[in-house]
Amino acid sequence: MLRAFVRAVWTICKKDIRVWLRQPANVAITVLPALALLFIDALSAGAVGLSPVALVTLDHGIKGQQMAQVIHQADLFRVSDATPAQARALYQNLDVVAILTIPANFTRAIEAHQPTHIEVQINNLNADFTNDIRRAVPDAITQLYQQQGGESPIKVTLQEQNLRSQDIQLFQYSAMPLLVLLLVISGLVSSSLSAAGEWETRTIKELLLSPASSGAIITGKVLTGFATTMTLGVLVLGVGDLLGWVQPEGVYWLSVLLILALVALFSAGLGVALGALLQRIQPVSSAAIVIALYLFFLTGGTAVLAFDPMWLQTIATFVPLYYGRHALEMAIFYHSSDQLGRDSAVLAGSALLAVSLGILAMRRGMADSR
Amino acid sequence: MHTYGSSLRVIRACLKKDLKSSFSEPLFTLVSIILPLNVLLLMSLLVISGGLAPTAVVMQDSGPLAQQFYAAMSQSHSFVLQQATTDQAAALIEQGRVVAVVTIPADFDARIRQQQPVSVGVKINNLNTDFTNDIRRALPLSITSFYAKAFPNMVTITPRERDAYPQDLGYIPYLAVPILVIGLMVGGMVQAGTAAAVEWEHETMKELLLSPASRLAILLGKMLAAFLIGLAGAVVVLAVLIALMGVWPIHWGELIGFTLLILALFTAWGTLLGTWLKRRTPLSTLAIGLCVPLFFLSGPFGPISFFAPIEQIFARLFPVYYAIVVLQHAFHDFTLNTYGIGINTLILAAYTLGGLILATVALRRSTLPH
Repeated sequence: MLRAFVRAVWTICKKDIRVWLRQPANVAITVLPALALLFIDALSAGAVGLSPVALVTLDHGIKGQQMAQVIHQADLFRVSDATPAQARALYQNLDVVAILTIPANFTRAIEAHQPTHIEVQINNLNADFTNDIRRAVPDAITQLYQQQGGESPIKVTLQEQNLRSQDIQLFQYSAMPLLVLLLVISGLVSSSLSAAGEWETRTIKELLLSPASSGAIITGKVLTGFATTMTLGVLVLGVGDLLGWVQPEGVYWLSVLLILALVALFSAGLGVALGALLQRIQPVSSAAIVIALYLFFLTGGTAVLAFDPMWLQTIATFVPLYYGRHALEMAIFYHSSDQLGRDSAVLAGSALLAVSLGILAMRRGMADSR
Repeated sequence: MHTYGSSLRVIRACLKKDLKSSFSEPLFTLVSIILPLNVLLLMSLLVISGGLAPTAVVMQDSGPLAQQFYAAMSQSHSFVLQQATTDQAAALIEQGRVVAVVTIPADFDARIRQQQPVSVGVKINNLNTDFTNDIRRALPLSITSFYAKAFPNMVTITPRERDAYPQDLGYIPYLAVPILVIGLMVGGMVQAGTAAAVEWEHETMKELLLSPASRLAILLGKMLAAFLIGLAGAVVVLAVLIALMGVWPIHWGELIGFTLLILALFTAWGTLLGTWLKRRTPLSTLAIGLCVPLFFLSGPFGPISFFAPIEQIFARLFPVYYAIVVLQHAFHDFTLNTYGIGINTLILAAYTLGGLILATVALRRSTLPH
């Protein structure tokens, strides 16, 4: 009895994996969105937060030169030194966001304790770039005052305390949720297509006429989705590790693999449910990818969920990927298993629920086809 | 030899046939019509945070200078502030409800008045460098703004800003335009691509290829049908954007003209993709799955010249970039590149023509086995 069940599951798995491998276009398409996003993140990671500006230093006095040096060294801008005419040209050609001008009387004014301004001409077409400049210029001014030590008139200093042991680079931070996105798209798309395909090509009839039990058919379908998704996930994780994008260490490899497995199982179960419910390839393929993207963005996408409105943060707590993402962040970035029990339990429960939904949908679909 | 009249007859016949086919599948047509709106909702989740850091401020001193410092923080375009007690603030940051806690010490006013150093505590949830650095830079901005107002004679260096536009545009109205472009892209490509691919899947392409009709006329008829259905989707998404989200266009004529051009462009490229892939599943998965990577690749956050050179090269390869440029001009009168609106329009027209020519070539070279 058990042997027949296992043989049937194994046969369905083998058949579905062969079908999956025969459709390299489908495989490529499931991994393409996440890999493309990873590539774009890698392209833009270097320049994030550093706005291009033209610096016009009209003052040759000591303070003017110090200010220019601070602006160059502050790691706040991508600076192009320019004459006023060159700066105007750069600004008009949209090569720089802003022109920073240190006026000719800068040193004199400071020495005479007279007010002086750094002129900031901004192309304020969007709040993101504009606010970056608005924050960066005062930062540079504060750094100039800090050079005066005890003489500085700015007596307010900041005592920073970080909640976490280290800052994570933006690219690394984005790479981890993209790995989750890859798993979700792959699991949902491949499992839903495999399930719906049986109805669309009417091979479900042969399956139902065979001596294989419906339990074995469903288990085989979910297992195939899980195996293909997990294989892709481990492959990309391995490449990410080699390239230094996501590097779990020691025992945390186990928790990372556990979470990836649970996310893969959740996606595969959900995919089978979707495929069995809709039973047609065309709507299934569109719905699967839209659902995967919604699940991804509802948990913050590649950004930081804590910056989102409270209603969105509340919704996120009902999305299982939120817990997967938290567990992966802890394991990969902070080498911690903080709340791993909660995260694994929620993910395991959700995976179980998704697989149960898949089983229900397949059973109902099969009953209708008999 | 195809006469002008016979070509027109073929175009009309293909248009009628595809419209009838669409009406015979009302669910799929409805889904196609709301697809751009769906993309708008999905991608809005990406930008909803607005980039402001939710921050708790512990006011241990309620003196006038401490209040002025709080006011400077609230006007720094960087924080969403809430006042809290020490315990409340600790709980808020632990729960991830705020990303920073700023503590203004009890002796703030006294020390500032006596020109003694005073340390403001900053606890940051330093998740990733991009967001964390925004907070780190926003605090010096608050400090210099505070001194500039409270002690204009002491801190004499301040930034003086000159803006290119009379007012800043918020994060969401700015990014709504690139999201609209992506919605038009997905809607146009899925509708046109599906209409092309279904002919291959159902093998009705055989009849079309065997008929004396010109390939170009067949494609034009099919594209016209897809364009009309896509237009319904464009009207829905524009209505939501303008009426509900309040993103009002400055140049209505440009908006209508460019929307039609962009829709025609993606209809042509959808037809090409459908003719090339010959299957609906990879087509819709690809069109929907690549919408997020293409959004990020095409300079949605500002003029592409503000980004790294490699990003500029990639953005200019895709028509999405030029579509964003012309629609930002239509909506907000923004200039995002130096080509001028005429050249950008010509580039979009060339892409449209290129898509149509390539689709015709692909159809001419296509064969179907018996």
